[in-house]
Amino acid sequence: MSQPALYERLVFKNASVYHYLKIYLILDNDDRKINAVYFKQMIISALRDLYGEIGAAFPFDVLKFEEDTLTAVLRVYNSGLVKLWTALTLLGSYQSEPCAVHVTQVSPFLLALSGNSRELELD
Amino acid sequence: MVNMAVFIDLNISYTADTKKLQNIIETAAHLGYSTVAINHVVDLQQKKQEIGKPKCVSELFDRLPIVQGKSRPIKVLNRLTVVVSEASHFRTTNEVKSYDIVAVFPKTEKLFHAACMSFDVDIICIAVTEKQPFYFKRPPVNGAIDRGVFFEISYVAAIKDSTLRRYTISNALSLMETCKGKNVIVSSGAEKPLELRGPYDITNLGLLFGLSEGDAKAAVSTNCRAVLLHGETRKTALGIIHTVKTQPTAERQEEEEEAVPAVKRAKRETL
Amino acid sequence: MFTNLEKCPRNLLVCEKSSLLNDKSRHATHVAKHFFNYKVSVLIPECGITPSGLKSVFNSFSKYYLLRNLPVYKLLEEEFLEKVVKKGSLYALSYKTRIDQDNTFALLPSGQVILSVDKDTYEELGLEGKASQYNHRQPMRYVVTLDMTDKSLAPGGKRYKRVMWALQEKVQLTSDFLMARYSIGGNGEDLLQSIFSQYSCRELRPSMSTQSLRDLLCPSLDPTDLHGDSRSCDPLQFLEWLGAVTMDMSCNNEASSFVSTYCCPEPQSSASQALLCTAVGLLLPEDIHSLLEELRRYFDEPRFTSWLSVTVHGFADSPVSWGATEHGFHKGGENFYTFVLFKNQDYWLHMATGTNDGCPP
Repeated sequence: MSQPALYERLVFKNASVYHYLKIYLILDNDDRKINAVYFKQMIISALRDLYGEIGAAFPFDVLKFEEDTLTAVLRVYNSGLVKLWTALTLLGSYQSEPCAVHVTQVSPFLLALSGNSRELELD
Repeated sequence: MVNMAVFIDLNISYTADTKKLQNIIETAAHLGYSTVAINHVVDLQQKKQEIGKPKCVSELFDRLPIVQGKSRPIKVLNRLTVVVSEASHFRTTNEVKSYDIVAVFPKTEKLFHAACMSFDVDIICIAVTEKQPFYFKRPPVNGAIDRGVFFEISYVAAIKDSTLRRYTISNALSLMETCKGKNVIVSSGAEKPLELRGPYDITNLGLLFGLSEGDAKAAVSTNCRAVLLHGETRKTALGIIHTVKTQPTAERQEEEEEAVPAVKRAKRETL
Repeated sequence: MFTNLEKCPRNLLVCEKSSLLNDKSRHATHVAKHFFNYKVSVLIPECGITPSGLKSVFNSFSKYYLLRNLPVYKLLEEEFLEKVVKKGSLYALSYKTRIDQDNTFALLPSGQVILSVDKDTYEELGLEGKASQYNHRQPMRYVVTLDMTDKSLAPGGKRYKRVMWALQEKVQLTSDFLMARYSIGGNGEDLLQSIFSQYSCRELRPSMSTQSLRDLLCPSLDPTDLHGDSRSCDPLQFLEWLGAVTMDMSCNNEASSFVSTYCCPEPQSSASQALLCTAVGLLLPEDIHSLLEELRRYFDEPRFTSWLSVTVHGFADSPVSWGATEHGFHKGGENFYTFVLFKNQDYWLHMATGTNDGCPP
C-alpha cells in the first residue's frame, strides 16, 4: 500500500460558475401536458419577452424535468441567474393560458438541492 | 404584533367572490407569506363610490390557513386604497380609520406632493398601468420618507401584460433614482392565486426595479412591517390623547413617553 | 444600471485531503462540530445490495423527539442542566422557525444556548448579545449566546436568575423543538421524555431509503489529485456530478443537446450499478461518525470501486453551521460536507457554505 496522503487544503471563494434553481410550474389548465422540450422553449420565450434576442440566447440547461409534477432543476451561469429568475417570475401565461413559475430553492451547489431541510414535514 | 422580518404582501385585491379570496389567501400562506392585507380600492371620482366599513376577516375563514414551514396561521388585515384626483377627495373619516392600513393613489403631481407631505396615510401607490404622469421630486419623496410613509410598487401588472410590465419597471426605476431604495414596498395586487409569487421570487424581482438585494428583501418584509406599525400608530393616535385625560399623573407620563417612541420607532425602522 | 443583475451572492468551498490513518487528521473534529444534520446520503459505485454492516449502522441511528410549545427557559432549568446538558451530546434545534424571519433557538452539545432573535425580542429580553453579522442597513437580528457551562451562569447565581427572569417573565419565548441525545446504552431518551412529560413529545426515527442506480458514468478519482489537474476532475465538477446522480439527472448529454448539455466530468468510467442510501431527520454527529467508521471497513474486502462518498446536509435554518459560527439564510441556507473515502484510507473532505455563513473550519 502507498504512503498515507499528505495533508492539503484548498479554499474556493465563489468558484462555482453556475447557479442551480429548483422550480415548479403551475398551469391553470390541469389537463395540459408539457414535455421537457416545450418547457425549455417556454422559458426561452419568457427570456426573449423580457430581455430581447440577447436574453433568448444566453445558455441554460434543464437538468431535470418531471412531467407529472411539473418540477424542474435548471442550471445557469452566475451572470445569468438574476435574468433567468426574473423572467421566470414574470412569466404569466403559456399558450394563452395563465400559469405561474415558483422557485423553491437556489444554490451555487447542485448537491445542496438534494438536501433542503425546509422540505422536512413531520406533521 | 408580527415578527420583524416575516414576509408580508400588503395588496391582495378585494373581491366579493369569497371562494376566490380564500384561494388567494391560501396560496399566499402556502408561498410563505405570514401576513397579507385585503385591499379595498375606492375611486372617489367615480360616482356612487364611497368608503364603506371593511369586511370582517373572521367571516372569511373558520380556520385561517397555516403559513408554509411554520406552525402559525396567516394574519389577514384590511387595507383601504383611495384613488384621488382632487384634494377634497381625501378626508380621514371614521370609516377610513376602521382599516388597518390606508393607502392613497395620487393622480397628479400636486396630490402626490400633498400625499407625501401631509396626508394621514401609510402607503403611496406608484402607477403601474400607465407611464408615470409626473416627476418624482426629491422634496416630497424625502418628506414622505421622513414621515415614515412608504411607496408601493405592485407587480401583478408586470405579469399580465408586456406593455404594463414596461411601465412598471420604468416607473419603479424613476422612483428609485429619487428615493435611493428607501421606504419601498413591493406587493402583488393579485386578483387570482396564479398571480402571486413567492417572497424570494419577489426579492429577486426587486433587483429589476432598481433595488439592492437588501432593500429588495426589506421591501417584502421589514418595510411592510413598518407600514403596519405606522398604521397602528395612526389608528391609535386619538385613543392615546383620550386616555391621558383620565389617568393619574405618574402613569400619564409613562403613557406619553411610550407614545412618542412608538411614532419614532416606526420611522426609525424604515431607514 | 443593470450591473447588479449580473452579480451573485458569495459562497465558499473548502477542500481537505488527508488520510484516516493520519493521527493528525481532523475529519472526526469536522464531523463532530457540524451539529445539526438534516440528511446523509452514501453513494457506493459498483455496489448492488446494501452491505449488512451499513444497514445496521443506519438502523442504529439515534431516535429524536419533536417537542411542542416548549418554553425556552425549560432548556436552562437546573434539573435539565444537571441530568442532561452537562452529560454532553445533547442537541436541540427549534423546529419550523426560519432563521431569516423568526426567532430561532439551539442548544449545542457543548452546553451553549443560542438565541437568534429579532430586534424587538432582543430589546424586550434585555440580555447581552451581539448584532447578527448578516444585517441590512440597521441591525434587525441579534444573537444571544448563553454558555451554561460557564460558572457565572451557574443556577442560583445572579446572572442565571436574570436570564431565567427574562425568559419567564419578560418574554415567554416558546417554540417547537427537535431534540436528541446520543448515548451508547440508549437510556438517554427516556430521561428526556420524563423531564418534558408535560409537553407533547413525539418520538421519531430517521427515515431511510435505498436506491439502486443502473448503468451510469462515474468520474475516476485519484486520491493524490484533489485539485483535479489531470487524474481527477476538480472538486466543483465532482460535487455537481454527485448532485446530478443523487437527483437522478441525465449525465450523458452532448454540447449540442437542446434541453441539457450536462455530462459527467472526465476522466470517467462506466459503472454497471451504484447504491444510494439516505437518511433524513435530526441526525447526530456521533452517528455520522459511526457511519464513516463502518464505511472505511468497506474496503477491507476487495471491491470494484476505488472510492465511495458520504454527503451530510445541515439544517438550512440552524443558527450555527460549524461549531458556534453564525449561520444565516440569504437566498438559501446551504451548509454541507462530502467525504470521498478511498481504498487506501485516504480521504477528501469538501465543506461548503452559502452567503450568510462563515468559512468552513
